[in-house]
Amino acid sequence: MNILTGTISKIQSHEGISLIKVRSSNVIFSSIVLDTPETAHYLQVEREVRIIFKETEVIISKDLKANISIQNQLSCRIESIKKGVILSQINLMHEDQIIKSIITSNACEQLDLKENDSVMALIKTNEVSLSAHD
Amino acid sequence: MIQFHAYKMLQTADGELPLDVSLTFEKGQFIAIYGNSGVGKTTILRILAGLTEAEKVDINVGDDIWDDSLKRFHLPVQKRSIGFVFQDFALFPNLTVKENLEFALSKNDSTQIVSELIELMELESLQNSKPQNLSGGQKQRVALARAIVRKPEILLLDEPLSALDDEMRFKLQDYILKTHEKYQLTTLMISHSIAEIFKLSDKVIVIDKGKISKQGTPNEVFAETKISSKFQVTGEIISITKSDIIYVVQVCSGNNIIKVVATEEEIIDYKIGQKVLVASKAFNPVIQILL
Repeated sequence: MNILTGTISKIQSHEGISLIKVRSSNVIFSSIVLDTPETAHYLQVEREVRIIFKETEVIISKDLKANISIQNQLSCRIESIKKGVILSQINLMHEDQIIKSIITSNACEQLDLKENDSVMALIKTNEVSLSAHD
Repeated sequence: MIQFHAYKMLQTADGELPLDVSLTFEKGQFIAIYGNSGVGKTTILRILAGLTEAEKVDINVGDDIWDDSLKRFHLPVQKRSIGFVFQDFALFPNLTVKENLEFALSKNDSTQIVSELIELMELESLQNSKPQNLSGGQKQRVALARAIVRKPEILLLDEPLSALDDEMRFKLQDYILKTHEKYQLTTLMISHSIAEIFKLSDKVIVIDKGKISKQGTPNEVFAETKISSKFQVTGEIISITKSDIIYVVQVCSGNNIIKVVATEEEIIDYKIGQKVLVASKAFNPVIQILL
């Protein structure tokens, strides 16, 4: 699990679904949740929350300016790679924050990922969970 | 409203343990008591029933006082409107099912309740059998019926289903729920099964080392994580297996076993038997219609 902390900066709700923007250091995360400020007390602007997403949901791109629909894009440096037969774990450094990604070893080879490479970590809006930070 | 307060020094394998519990609940509620072994759960039920004495005990059931240790008042067990079912059923071996139920009647009670319970608990075909010819689940069904014969205000269940297999347990849970509702009982049940607590109870009280450590609805107690994920399951870790560079954690929840992938760093904190919440976003699961 990747867990970052951030502050809610914007909430857009419609028919029970909300798009939440959360600022974490200099990045704005997008998360979509089946809650609204009426159903979840912690959904308030300026509230501190945890941003949670699974390693297996972190996509890696070598293209640093990809024109794609994924809203959460973090520029990272590869800190280390743990290679397995089928899967590989890529430990990324985003500013002073470690973000882990698990991708197939095939993908890791195709992209020719190496330590210190600059890459983008991409996480779809609907893969980001939020949790009250208290 | 039922108010219960008791203080009692328990003698346990690890030395003395002060049991100090205050509980308030409404008539008609189904209360589950959850916690590890030897933390005082059974003692609470026994004090409420008047079977066990305590250094300090105050019990009010509606307008009636059952215990008031300041006034040295103690209502004897036979005068308390209580039904009790234990894990080890104690039916009279020489009496038939029907006779076992009739034996529990008060002198002037009508026997109509006996036939009503025999029907409700589907004991018709067993009513003339002796307990030795019944299965564990059947015996427990009779024990439950017998506990309700006098239409008690409070039904106390001390892990009544723990010796039964899953299928029998689910069935008995339905009977318990049915009788709880039909006779408007106030039921207190000790249970180790989170799934069972979710199914049956309005409120759960967690006892740890003689004290209440948590209470609330099953959802508040077991699932309150404030995580936005809508696909949540609570269960117990039953195995952790290495698979390439990741680990597969098997979690047993009720009848289901689910598998969750975890990293090497995460599994350091996981132990077999640990209670966990598994959460996923509502966007991930797919639904398939079963034919």
